[in-house]
Amino acid sequence: MLYKKKFPLVIFLIPGLILIFLFLYWPFIENIKNSFYDITNFVKMPGKEWTFIGVENYKKLLTDSKLRIAFANSIKMMGLAVVFQVGIALGLAIFVSWLRRGENFFRTIYFFPIVISATAIGLIFKLFYNYSGGMLNQFLEVIGKDPVNWLAPGRAFTMIAIPIIWSYVGFYFVILLTGLNAIPEELYEAAKVDGCSKVKQVLYVTLPMMRGVFCTCIILAVTGALKVFDLPWVIAPKGAPQGRTHFLGTLMYEQTFTIGNVDYGSAIGFVIVIFGLLVSLAVNELLKPDANL
Amino acid sequence: MKSSGDAKEHKRFSIRKTVTYLILALWAVTTIFPFVWVINNSFKPSAEVVNTSFSLPKKFILTNYVNAFGKQDILESYKNSLVISGTVMIAVMFLATMMAFAMTRYRFRGKAIVNAIILSSLMIPAFSTIVPVFKKMAQFGLLNLPVSVILPQVAGNLSFATVVMMGFLRGIPLEMEEAAYMEGADVFKVFTRIIMPLSRPSMATVAIFCFLWSYNDLFTQLIMIRRRSGFPISVLLNEISSRYGTDYGLMASSVTLIIVPVLIIYAFLQKYIIKGLTAGALKG
Amino acid sequence: MKKKAKWLALFLTIVLALSFVACSSKNGSKSDNSRNTGVTPADKKNPVTLTTVSMFGGTDPNAPNYQAIISQFMKDYSYITIEDDSQVSDQDWKTRIAADFAVGNEPDVIQYFIDANASDVLAADKFVTIDEIRAEYPDYAKDTLDSALKAAANPDGIERAVPTTGYWEGLYCNKDLFKKYGLELPTTWDNLLQAIATFKENNIIPIAVSLNNVPHYWVEALILSAAGSEGYTQVPETVPQDWCTGLAMIKTLRDMEAFPKDTDTIDNDFAGELFKSKRAAMKLDGSWFLSSIPDKQNTVITAVPVMPGGKAKEGEIIGGISSGFYITKKAWEDPDKRDAAVKFVMANTNKEGVTKYWNGSGQAAVSADPIKDMTPLAISGFEYSNKASVTLLPIDSRISQEAYNTLIAGIVDISTGAKTPEDLLKEVLDINAKQ
Repeated sequence: MLYKKKFPLVIFLIPGLILIFLFLYWPFIENIKNSFYDITNFVKMPGKEWTFIGVENYKKLLTDSKLRIAFANSIKMMGLAVVFQVGIALGLAIFVSWLRRGENFFRTIYFFPIVISATAIGLIFKLFYNYSGGMLNQFLEVIGKDPVNWLAPGRAFTMIAIPIIWSYVGFYFVILLTGLNAIPEELYEAAKVDGCSKVKQVLYVTLPMMRGVFCTCIILAVTGALKVFDLPWVIAPKGAPQGRTHFLGTLMYEQTFTIGNVDYGSAIGFVIVIFGLLVSLAVNELLKPDANL
Repeated sequence: MKSSGDAKEHKRFSIRKTVTYLILALWAVTTIFPFVWVINNSFKPSAEVVNTSFSLPKKFILTNYVNAFGKQDILESYKNSLVISGTVMIAVMFLATMMAFAMTRYRFRGKAIVNAIILSSLMIPAFSTIVPVFKKMAQFGLLNLPVSVILPQVAGNLSFATVVMMGFLRGIPLEMEEAAYMEGADVFKVFTRIIMPLSRPSMATVAIFCFLWSYNDLFTQLIMIRRRSGFPISVLLNEISSRYGTDYGLMASSVTLIIVPVLIIYAFLQKYIIKGLTAGALKG
Repeated sequence: MKKKAKWLALFLTIVLALSFVACSSKNGSKSDNSRNTGVTPADKKNPVTLTTVSMFGGTDPNAPNYQAIISQFMKDYSYITIEDDSQVSDQDWKTRIAADFAVGNEPDVIQYFIDANASDVLAADKFVTIDEIRAEYPDYAKDTLDSALKAAANPDGIERAVPTTGYWEGLYCNKDLFKKYGLELPTTWDNLLQAIATFKENNIIPIAVSLNNVPHYWVEALILSAAGSEGYTQVPETVPQDWCTGLAMIKTLRDMEAFPKDTDTIDNDFAGELFKSKRAAMKLDGSWFLSSIPDKQNTVITAVPVMPGGKAKEGEIIGGISSGFYITKKAWEDPDKRDAAVKFVMANTNKEGVTKYWNGSGQAAVSADPIKDMTPLAISGFEYSNKASVTLLPIDSRISQEAYNTLIAGIVDISTGAKTPEDLLKEVLDINAKQ
């Protein structure tokens, strides 16, 4: 009833949409255009023309073995993000919400990895993993074991996935906890009166009430995994070792900035957006966050 | 009978409690550790960081901090950062709540499209938008001004914030708004008197993230702001540490200097993310 | 509740006010400048602010020298203010500079690359040529050797940049480690192989290198070694067999475990650390690496030996002049800045300035006097470059950046055998042919 008149929509939506269009879509359309040209310089110099090469870059995408690795890694990362980032965060958030004391303490502490910039966290983990004199190998030396090349091709992906997952748990934790706290206490009281155990309260009160927030987290986890860049780039730049840890984000950066193949980088950027959109629409379709409207 | 049952119950509770605390504490250790590591190493020379980064400094030195401060006006940079990230935070908070409100409360033609627009802008990487934006900013003579960082950052964070706010707003039951409507309130009243107060904790959550991302987003800041007098703190410290190469001690002290104000802001916003606020709003 | 809202409103107001102040103060200072430059007939010299950019930033050993010249310069000419933005050049930085040139935000004076690395910026055609400058300032670059000016000409053959010093690439060796294990310095290929085998047995990394980050020096040295100066300096259209032989040697060395175990993941700085802390015996690097080495007594520089069957002759080394000072048209067309810019470039490139930069290593662009009190390491570097019969510019001065970067990015795959040198070089040459 209240929301029958559509006029206010303009006021609520338009300012934000204008900003998004001006600073994201318009430049991104430029980026899509770039992917059809052969770009020699990063910036178009006055008086220079670029040659049109059509879909050549997209053809290259289909055969690029690096892209295949990056794609596989990004998809793997999506799965890991949903299961571990959101999963661990949900567990921690529920535990913390049970507490009578110390909630503030944990909320502050769990937030730390987010406060420290990804570059700094990357640096820390780099020093953990170093073959000569890294923390893990210092530790192995103390217990009398041979040093391990932690970033060897076989285990590099896992070693890089760990800090990525770890550093974002706090992020989902805060979001989920905020959502948990928005659930009216009365519902739990009612459930308690009906004789529900803690576990049952989680299943029948918490999770259904959290549907919207939960869906948000999954979408953010999926898209975030797709955009992963800083941490892998600092710990093992350019997909080191041997291109095994390339993600779509790092591959795009390498192509654009390190190699200077701007047009190919643009094509990868386009793929990232399209793929991410498809996945998040699928998530929306599966979880139907608007079901209770 | 009854009393033994109670005891059992009690025992089970305390076991569960202990386990809960244990798990929480374990995770806490992993999150505190890097923090302590950074602060600890900020008092060491670089070689010591590389070789024995996990022991206490042999001798507390303040050289790293002296180098980081140097002759730079670090306070000026804090101010620049606060201006940029504070504006981004507030602008995003309000715009996102408005958009999320529209997206969760209204049914309209093209809603699916708007939704897709918001979702796909989540994925647009900053690397692919920065050059055109940079050119436009230069064209309008806005380079080096805070606004050249603020606008792209607001746009960049807006979709994330809207998605999060949508999630929260979906959880607010419609009844209250309907009731207000029955009493003669219009949409704007409903928004300012019911939605905003109710979603304050979520807005605070979104705000802190936006602040952080704006604050730590070296990439945009580095490209848009070239004049030293306009450097935000992360750009300043990046420049300082590039001057000293891979001086890990200096990096650690830079990170410490970057973190401190954020913790202060977080502590302030924390108050808004407290349990029971929703209940309070319902009554008042 | 209301109180909190007020708090928020207050915070908002403060932030907005601050941003307003920040904006307006900037505008204010700008208008001040223009007023000063416009209407001060009383002063003979109008205050000038020169914006300058150089690669003498960050960890560059010449950064302090450059800063010293700037502060001396501002003392000498009190009406000139230098606003300097110097950085160590990396890909991101080059992109930013190119973007500046594209949108008209270029500095007044820039010390930048002269070769294909500058193609982005040169394409904008925003530099004044030395001939034009000399037409008005006949003394411009008068100390600089003609040969050096010629060497600093851009790829189109026109001289725009005034160089300071040249550089060389050489093999740094920890002499004490060689002595400890009774090894000869790697003056021949056999010695090199012997050294690698012995160091490996003794848990010392034979060669510190980061194949993922900076394999450049090895790529250059091995191709030169295999192809000789003539083959090395050509810009090939089809894949040269010699180049493949040279690149294939990287795999041979890797299979011998000559490189650190984590050569795929460490960065060049860390590889440098390995060498300096004597955990590694050798490192191939440029003359700029010299001043950062702590042990100046026991470190020597030798040439990379010629590989068996290689066409290179002794005394052919890689180096040259890669950068110089430019004046942009923007500064040249501003009557006040023109003079200041010329003075500034002169201060950096005259005999006095260059001697500061030169420091005994590499080649000076002026006829500089020899330096006294050189450390054994510096003498070793000086002799190394003096003995050179031919100094050759690296490959990246001859092929396009995208092509060269593709070559560098493929080195790890070459070293593991995931890609053959033929395939990589074909890809590289195809990209180069496009441009």
